[in-house]
Amino acid sequence: MEAGKTRKRLHANKALRDIITQFYADGHRAKAEGRPVGWIPPMNGLIELFYAMDIAPVFPENWAPVCAAIGTNTKNFEYCAKRGFSGDLCGYFRNNVGYALEGINEENQPLNGLPEPDFLISFGAGCIPTMKTFQVLCDHFDVPVLRADLPQVAMEDIKEHHIQYAVAQMKRLIRFLEEITGKKFDIDRLRQAVAYTDEACRLWDELMEKRSTIPSPFSAAEIGIMFVMVTRHGTEIAVNFLKDVLQEVNEKVARGEGVIPNEKIRLFWDNIPLWYNMKLFNYFEKWDAVVVAETYSAAWSLRMDPNKPLESIAYKTLVSYPLVSCVSLHKRLELIMNAVRDYKIDGAILHSNRSCKPISMGQMDIQKVLAEELSVPSVMFDGDHMDGEKFSMAQFQTRIDAFMEMLLAKKKGKGG
Amino acid sequence: MNANFKELYQHHIEIVQEEQRENRCLVIGTLCSYVPVEILHAFDILPVRLWGLSEDIGQADALLQTYICPPARHIMALGLAGHYDFLDGIVHSYTCDATCGLFNIWCRNLKPKFSFLLSPPYIDIDEAIAYGLAEYRGFITALEGFTKKRFSVDKLRESINLYNEARAYIKEIYDVKKRGASVSYLDIYYINLCLQVLPVEMLIPHYQEYLSMAEKIASKKNGKHRILLSGSVVSDVDIMGFIEQRGGDIVADDTCLGLRLVQDRIHEDEEPLRALLKYYLLRPPCSSRADFPARKNYILEMVSLFDVDAVIFMHQKFCDPHLSDHPFLKKVLDEKGIYQMQLELEEEGGLTGQVQTRLESFFEILEGK
Repeated sequence: MEAGKTRKRLHANKALRDIITQFYADGHRAKAEGRPVGWIPPMNGLIELFYAMDIAPVFPENWAPVCAAIGTNTKNFEYCAKRGFSGDLCGYFRNNVGYALEGINEENQPLNGLPEPDFLISFGAGCIPTMKTFQVLCDHFDVPVLRADLPQVAMEDIKEHHIQYAVAQMKRLIRFLEEITGKKFDIDRLRQAVAYTDEACRLWDELMEKRSTIPSPFSAAEIGIMFVMVTRHGTEIAVNFLKDVLQEVNEKVARGEGVIPNEKIRLFWDNIPLWYNMKLFNYFEKWDAVVVAETYSAAWSLRMDPNKPLESIAYKTLVSYPLVSCVSLHKRLELIMNAVRDYKIDGAILHSNRSCKPISMGQMDIQKVLAEELSVPSVMFDGDHMDGEKFSMAQFQTRIDAFMEMLLAKKKGKGG
Repeated sequence: MNANFKELYQHHIEIVQEEQRENRCLVIGTLCSYVPVEILHAFDILPVRLWGLSEDIGQADALLQTYICPPARHIMALGLAGHYDFLDGIVHSYTCDATCGLFNIWCRNLKPKFSFLLSPPYIDIDEAIAYGLAEYRGFITALEGFTKKRFSVDKLRESINLYNEARAYIKEIYDVKKRGASVSYLDIYYINLCLQVLPVEMLIPHYQEYLSMAEKIASKKNGKHRILLSGSVVSDVDIMGFIEQRGGDIVADDTCLGLRLVQDRIHEDEEPLRALLKYYLLRPPCSSRADFPARKNYILEMVSLFDVDAVIFMHQKFCDPHLSDHPFLKKVLDEKGIYQMQLELEEEGGLTGQVQTRLESFFEILEGK
């Protein structure tokens, strides 16, 4: 595959670059103005609370893909290894620990790096590597910490007591943030933040749904737009950006304009992308193939009720991680089966990701379901979402080339 | 001394199946020590912890990647080989990601008649009790549906008493060893393991007998290095044996099986379900749910209580929680001047030449200190 950048085709990517720059600048501005900066784990309702209380959130987990994209991940891995951490641990963990403990002190960092935290939220939920990342940070930074505990329940098994326990944690968090900021929490502002998230999720779902059009208006190569779903939930920024993307995509659909001129094969992608090699998503284009749906992009969207703001952020906190992990294999299989039908998938690419055991566990079951219940062929390749040393392009090509030829032959046989 | 516990463990599947046939009791597999076995017992269910080494771990390849920890892969391989076909169900209590994944994959592929995933609280905050009780009640309701039996608080009280008694004996065996009795850690390992896989009623007389024998052994200083063993699912008895042979005396542990489970007792004078919940909530926490200060406190407390000379970490390959904790705990021990070493166990590993060499070197350092 030729060297170079990922081929992105949406004009929205220009606005996205500004949003990314602005997001990191906000953290630095808060720091410079003496406002507290909090580091938090992703995939929960903390973000709405933060924005409702004018606190700039910093997500180390979101910083990791940035490091992978700009190439500072390898240095951070070295810093992490130097502290005695195993190379078998998740790449997010190794990058973020290495960065926080040492990389953060480097000069001339892209986007000026991350501002140091004034407080930390350490949630005992999500995956173990995320939980442990925050424990390392709590040990390293001498700042106030809120530790919380959350149920790990399959989405379909969530009961009222799970939500109430998560609400109780949110109330603890609110008291903690009030003390940190010296400001009173305003439920109406949380309502507004929840309403923004709900609207962003509605737009996101509509946007993703457009990809079921043949030809698909955009591919997984554009998945960077997910940045707003990770970092700008609870704000108008996400809503406005997604509206613009949707308009651009609608226009493409109206013109019948696909990612490539002659789309023949529609692919599904399971697991986290290889953040250091996003151009892999363009690799399929030489067979007139497009990745039109993914598991990962589905994890960031759910509908929320502004009339029940606390329950909404509690629910979000409970479901986001289980939705894509092995907490509920049943739900994950359901999500994939629906996607295969809705997006008219011809084949699935499964990234067996050494850095993410919770998402990778169950992939053999996914393959079985795809083959036995949907007659959709799939291929699995070994990789790592953060560490390029654990990915072989040659092996990827060998497997994918054979798979794509088979898919094309199958399609031809069907007269497709 | 009495080596029956090893034999009991080795025959536990036959014993359990016999129990299942003779007493027509249900047998439910558990994947973690956080499953409240007392509740299962109160329903006349025999809980059996899934544990062991498969002769053909490659069988797990069909469902689990090779970068999933060896214990999870061994259990999956055992399940696929039909080793646990007699089970009536499986219960898990959320701790680590790998066992949660294993639970889901097990359920999907081996289709147990009953399955339940508990998510207990792990932080001692005011709301944890109400939440945990609701979670336990959900479990009880599911069991009532499955067994067609009504839950009885009195039966739970009886079950709690039995487990308290068994755990108290085990704790006392650790204490007798601590006082100098020549008790092999291998015995303690199997004593602990038996409580996970065999009927508690059957074990109590054996524990009583073992303890009275151990108490008769004159206490004396053996001159060995007092070792604390730390890790998750530590089952490599060859390595434990080698440590003892090489001059180590494993006096305490911090694993998924052992001291952490028997240190505390469930308060008999409290409402049983609440007391049970508090026992699981407040006992020394597992790495998968604990934060660093809790881990530090437990390790240092054990080091002091058992007058430990050195800590040996036996970590399973790909074990995220323990591998993440290790540099922190190493730092804590270094600061206190406690020697430590880490063994990272390979899937087909056990007592390899490399492990022997490393242990030899470690004991040479201890001898020279």
